[in-house]
Amino acid sequence: MRASFITSEVVTGLRRNVSMTIAMILTTAISLGLFGGGLLVVRMADKSQDIFLQRVEIQVFVDDKVAADDPDCQKSVCQALESKIKSQPGVDSLDYISKDKAYEIAKTKTFANQPDLADLVRPGVLPASFKVRINDDKQFGGVIDAIKNEPGVSSVLDQREVVKRMFSVLDGARNAAFFVALIQAVAAVLLIANMVQVAAYTRRTEVSIMRLVGATRWYTQLPFLLEAVLSAVIGATLAVIGLFVGNKLVFEWAMNEFYAKNLLARVTVTDVLLVSPWLYVVGAGFAAVTAYLTLRFYVRE
Amino acid sequence: MITLQNVTMMYKASARPALHDLSLEIGKGEFAFLIGPSGSGKSTFFRLLLKEDKPTSGDVYVGDYHVNKLSGRRVPQLRQSLGCVFQDFRLLQQKTVAENVGFALEVIGKPRNVIDRTVPQVLDYVGLGGKANRMPSELSGGEKQRVAIARAIANRPLLLLADEPTGNLDPDTSAEIVDVLDRINRAGTTVVMATHDRHIVDSMRRRVIEFRMGEMVRDDATGVYGLGR
Repeated sequence: MRASFITSEVVTGLRRNVSMTIAMILTTAISLGLFGGGLLVVRMADKSQDIFLQRVEIQVFVDDKVAADDPDCQKSVCQALESKIKSQPGVDSLDYISKDKAYEIAKTKTFANQPDLADLVRPGVLPASFKVRINDDKQFGGVIDAIKNEPGVSSVLDQREVVKRMFSVLDGARNAAFFVALIQAVAAVLLIANMVQVAAYTRRTEVSIMRLVGATRWYTQLPFLLEAVLSAVIGATLAVIGLFVGNKLVFEWAMNEFYAKNLLARVTVTDVLLVSPWLYVVGAGFAAVTAYLTLRFYVRE
Repeated sequence: MITLQNVTMMYKASARPALHDLSLEIGKGEFAFLIGPSGSGKSTFFRLLLKEDKPTSGDVYVGDYHVNKLSGRRVPQLRQSLGCVFQDFRLLQQKTVAENVGFALEVIGKPRNVIDRTVPQVLDYVGLGGKANRMPSELSGGEKQRVAIARAIANRPLLLLADEPTGNLDPDTSAEIVDVLDRINRAGTTVVMATHDRHIVDSMRRRVIEFRMGEMVRDDATGVYGLGR
């Protein structure tokens, strides 16, 4: 198989259908850009979740009566509970937040920027609690099971559940990006099929002569396949450039506040570099398969 | 070279067979005219030899190839041993004469040095030695057909199929083209030429095979166009 012949046929084909080639490149670029954006959201969510999961705690709320009766956790019930918690495997540290301290935290930190809500908080309303830091993810469930029914325990909050609910928002963003990418992908596939058929029709005389003189099916089809793959690769390149530029100019600006407060993990150049090869693989793969299947039905033996 | 054994070809949309129980042999090195009215089965005959269609029943042999049993992968090999010339020339308008001839060798993977050596030779052989760089639009009908013939013989086929090669040409040019085909035949290539050109058939006195409504009605070793009707 002569590479120079195939190359010249590919270049000729792309030149002949310039407008369709450009349409295919742009559609593929948008589709792959959205797909890449979805992948970046997944990476960001995973990294952010890791950050949070390292900081999450179990909050053991103390029964109101016990807390009111024992504000500084000195008496037997509260002390027994504290010892029970400390003795559990995986417990790294433990802080007791009394009802007064909880009120102070609410006023000065939690609702510091929301005075209307801060005014609603009254002393003695918020429960006392133990904030338990766990050093081993796997011990979370065990610790909760061991203490949730202990005397003096009102309820137990697993902050992992809070984090997971929060990150379901990011999952939603990722799913939305993938969904739009899928719609675009359908458009791209149809465009590729159309482009291949138009290319084959435009070169029908060459194709018929090739078949008549005994060119193999591969020799006949390969230029069209390569045209589709090359267009997809160019589209993937545009998508990658778009991800770099979009991340630097748009995403970083939009997410700056979250990054500054360490609420979300930053999407870095490394993330974009790690995601980029997938755009080429998926783009070229889709284009090759679509072109091949189109030609199977279009170019006879 | 060509053997058909009880070949019947029935197209789906058609009420009568395009070819009916045809048995025929054309030997190596022969020159045979295929005559008959439109729709008599000439083109179907060619399509079966090229494996463009598969016969409804019967067997088709071309050289060592059992054509109707040939796998898809081997069809290119069969077609590389055949040359085809058509009434409408089927040249590539954006390529020069030399490029048109070279195209047939390029697409079957011949090396560049073989193409560079072969193209001038075949162009000389068909009498187009000085016209390698011309475009098809600059050629006469006869010259275009010579290019098509050069392309058809560039790979030294065992069999040359010519489907009304003089259909678009004037009588003098037609005679020139048939001369070229005759020369090719004398060099050893089997030639089968479908034609409506009575004058050529009568002047050449070669084998004449006549089809009518899918049946072979005549097979004369040295026939003329009108005999036997």
